[in-house]
Amino acid sequence: MRFTLFIFSILSFPLLLFAQNGEKEVSMKELVVTATGTQHTLKDVPVQTEVINRKMLDSFGGKSIEEILSSLTASFAFAEGDMGSQMQLGGLGNSYILVLVDGKRLHGDVGGENDLGLIDPQNIERIEIVKGAQSALYGSDAMAGVINIITKKHTAKGFYADNSTKYGMHNDLRQHNTFAFNIGKVGSQTNFQMQRNDGWQNTSEEFAEGIVLTDSRNKTVNAFRNWQLVERLTYRPLNNLELYAEGSYYKKHICRPQDGTHPSCDVYTYNLRYNNASASVGGKWVLGNEADDAKRNYLSFDADWNKHAYYYDYTVGTYENVLLKGEEYGDLNGEWYPVLMKPGQSKLQSDQQRVMGLVKGVFYLPFENTLNTGVEYRYDYLNAPDRTENGSAGDWTSALYVQDEFNKLGWFNLTAGLRLVGNRNFGVRLTPKVSAMFSAGDFRFRLGWSQGFKTPTVKELHYRYLHVMGSSTFFNIGNVELNPQTNNYYSANIEYRGRKFTASVTGYLNKLDNMIALVNVPVGEIPTGITTAYLGDGSGNVQARMYKNMDDARTYGVDVTLSYQVVKDLTLTSAYSWLNTEANMYDSSKDRMNSVTIDGTAHHKWSASAMYSHSFSSIYKLGINLSTRGSSTRFYQNNGNGKPYQIWRINTTHDFGRAGKMLAYRLELGVDNIFNYVDRTMHPYHLGNNTAGTTVYGTFGIKFNYGKRVKNNILLTKKQITNEED
Amino acid sequence: MKKIKSLILAAAAFSLTAPVFTSCSSNDSDENLDNLVSEYTVNDNMVAAQKAKSGKDEAVLLVAFGSTWNNAFLAFDKTKQAYEAAFPNADVYFCFSSDICINRASVGENTDDEGNIVKRDYYEPRYLLHAIGAAKYSKIYVQSLQVIPGEEFAAVVASVKKFMNNGYIAKAHLDDDYLAKLQEDEAIFLGMPLLNDPEVDVPEVAAQLNALYAAEASQGVVAFMGHGNPDTYDTFKANVRYTQLEVALQALNPNYYVGTVDMPDNYKQDVLGRMQEKGINNGKVFLHALMSIAGDHAHNDMAGEGEEYWDPEEEESEDNSWFEYFKNKGYDVQVPVVGNHPLGLLELPGILNVWIQHTKDAEFLEDAYHSMYPEE
Repeated sequence: MRFTLFIFSILSFPLLLFAQNGEKEVSMKELVVTATGTQHTLKDVPVQTEVINRKMLDSFGGKSIEEILSSLTASFAFAEGDMGSQMQLGGLGNSYILVLVDGKRLHGDVGGENDLGLIDPQNIERIEIVKGAQSALYGSDAMAGVINIITKKHTAKGFYADNSTKYGMHNDLRQHNTFAFNIGKVGSQTNFQMQRNDGWQNTSEEFAEGIVLTDSRNKTVNAFRNWQLVERLTYRPLNNLELYAEGSYYKKHICRPQDGTHPSCDVYTYNLRYNNASASVGGKWVLGNEADDAKRNYLSFDADWNKHAYYYDYTVGTYENVLLKGEEYGDLNGEWYPVLMKPGQSKLQSDQQRVMGLVKGVFYLPFENTLNTGVEYRYDYLNAPDRTENGSAGDWTSALYVQDEFNKLGWFNLTAGLRLVGNRNFGVRLTPKVSAMFSAGDFRFRLGWSQGFKTPTVKELHYRYLHVMGSSTFFNIGNVELNPQTNNYYSANIEYRGRKFTASVTGYLNKLDNMIALVNVPVGEIPTGITTAYLGDGSGNVQARMYKNMDDARTYGVDVTLSYQVVKDLTLTSAYSWLNTEANMYDSSKDRMNSVTIDGTAHHKWSASAMYSHSFSSIYKLGINLSTRGSSTRFYQNNGNGKPYQIWRINTTHDFGRAGKMLAYRLELGVDNIFNYVDRTMHPYHLGNNTAGTTVYGTFGIKFNYGKRVKNNILLTKKQITNEED
Repeated sequence: MKKIKSLILAAAAFSLTAPVFTSCSSNDSDENLDNLVSEYTVNDNMVAAQKAKSGKDEAVLLVAFGSTWNNAFLAFDKTKQAYEAAFPNADVYFCFSSDICINRASVGENTDDEGNIVKRDYYEPRYLLHAIGAAKYSKIYVQSLQVIPGEEFAAVVASVKKFMNNGYIAKAHLDDDYLAKLQEDEAIFLGMPLLNDPEVDVPEVAAQLNALYAAEASQGVVAFMGHGNPDTYDTFKANVRYTQLEVALQALNPNYYVGTVDMPDNYKQDVLGRMQEKGINNGKVFLHALMSIAGDHAHNDMAGEGEEYWDPEEEESEDNSWFEYFKNKGYDVQVPVVGNHPLGLLELPGILNVWIQHTKDAEFLEDAYHSMYPEE
């Protein structure tokens, strides 16, 4: 009840003020590309799309993509930990969420969770979120939805350079640099980012050895550092042809406590390291010469290679169970044997590589039809010498998609797509998607239905490893018996998008079958030959878990977003998400269905912010962003539920510099978690939120631009985003 | 010209990522070999130093699965001391077959009986056995500290066979003549698990347990919780020992029951079923661990108290503790503890003596040795 009242007050915040004011343009021109692969204004996009635009990002000053997504929408839940970000959208976890960077799949996971450190928060133009497997373009495995991160592109003639350095408590450093130039037909953009944090400990209490230990050294969030370098070269040999080549390198270290004293829970003998690299080439060929850029047919192609390797870096001597292969091992050839790894040595745990090719075309046909069609091929390779039966495994998937947008009637848009997916192990499957939109004045009504089909990942099929979490040790096992997951996603949306006020209400139902989850299994289900080596702790403290198809699950909910520009300088936004989940699992030992909780789900989540900005003189502009976010209790199957929380944050921005000058400066000062909310639930029980409490930070930024003015305009023109659907 | 330009651009982009194609191809195999050799050497040196120091010519190697709990480390300490007293002519070594337990124990700071901080390094049986061979002890006892002759015991047998067959990498081969002599002298012994012989060990252990818990059995049910092997891994069909022990105990007092965590048809609900068949629907239930040490199973699966250990919707769930299960079934449940911990079998002197006696009675491992040069 308390939550309902609170949510009501947050949501009505913009509404109360709405009545008093005249209208002014707010986000009419915002263009989005994710849902259909073609440009639409946010208002007229046939599939409901949630956008976090440049203005919101600038005002918010987020330090990570996790912070941005959890604060600027109510759709996401995170539990940042060692093992990735544990992102959830609509009750479904990371493996159902497709994260795209400029339309390309992010590659690389940490314990099955996307490593969002690969995304530089300072280099985001905007974020588009499309829920459900609504788009035929990006693969049917986006059962929960698609997040498309559109990065900043510096395509203006001349040179551009910027620096942004953010520093905060817990030795939190976020460094960002861009250097770009465009001379003649050649362009180059280099991005560098670095993130680090010393981690923190909210409690030193831990339930272990049958008692509550009070001197545990386990941290709430472990120290980490990562850096990334990205280079993109573009070349326009002809006016209607653009080619690009891109490469990136990324490295991440997670440092675990080295001062723990309890063998049962807080000692670690190695740290974790990730190496990620990518290379891609592609191009876009615009056909015809219609006056309107956005109506020109085009063909594009992309070829990508990605690598994500995961290592243990040993800090003290550690026995590792290694499969010895080779004549040099003599009598031990072919045996699993304990090998003592020495401090300073490293061992590869897994190397996931992916090769993808995509050719697609967009054609503007008569009678206001837009045809978008493409062919995609993808090969996944997993090299994990000690974590797979044979040392490595591979899988390919190819897809063909066709999508047509029919817009002849003006008040009615129908977008229908088909995606044909073929997989080495699971054959061929056709998945349809249909969206309809009705327009009436500033109102839009949208209906959507989509089917998804997701084959098990190579890791879900073949990977096995020990996962140690404090005093708990899990033996996670892949399962070659898995079936593909399927889903049906239904949504209905009503949206009002006026000049100053926007409101959107979306209801959805996501029905999943054969959902794959890591579930506890009796030791007897562990494949023979690997039990003795992996049983682990002599007290039997190892829980075997295997990927299994749960029989069915459904998630349903309502998302509400409101935005209101009170006066020119002040905009209020709020978002609320209600969610319910039902999952059933067949228990073979008892021959019955068990109803289970989908871990980490909460019924209510909300966020709200007030954005104020004002130019006090021609050289100084002030911005203030006050925001809050919260969640009701998060439910888990084991180790307790996460407490409800509500967190407030303020960010101030100070822009110095005259328009048209070469240099511009920015200062940001802010306080996160103003009221010092800290969840001190003891290890290893779940937290609602792992915030460290009040955190103060500051950012200094500088921009250099030679050859073209620094523009503060956040609204995109169609020309600026011609490449973003690539 | 344009073509050349674009090629240069593409080449430049790839050259940026080129290092990753090569930098991660490490010589894992060489490193593994070096690590194997150096670890044999470390163990060899440690044992050689001990042999030189003590001047003893016999070795006893105790093999436990391992633990990460401090109370278990204390029990292992006392076990080693008892063996040193029982085998005054032997150097006693202790090892864990669980790598994780060794890794973690070596890093932590543990406490001894008086609460002083001590460091405990445990060893891996395959390396330690190699070192004992390298030091050329003239008599070797390998003693399994398992309760039943099941899956874990099979691993102990395998490592002894490997030792006698000189199953090591070429750089770490033992002196084959020495191994032949061990065989010839009938000087390699394998000590069996606690409940090895159903005719001898089971009644003996039952008598020892009854000596300790007769007072409790006179007040109510005394239920022992063993581990057991799961169905698919009932190596040597060893699970039957739990049933045999219950029969032997009930011959002394019908109030004794023996159940397990993993043995099919002998879980807590099966123990309850047997109690109810005899009309025991209330009264006292005393819970004891039938495991060599009291770790996670004894503390959580057996003695766990509170809502974390009780899901009323799924009473027989393995996450529900014996304590909560029997409490919710209407019994007055008690978990006798010493210093806040239930006791493991190694901590019961009468039971530990059974193990020690197994070592003393250990049989020579006939046919264990096969020359690595069969053609000679």
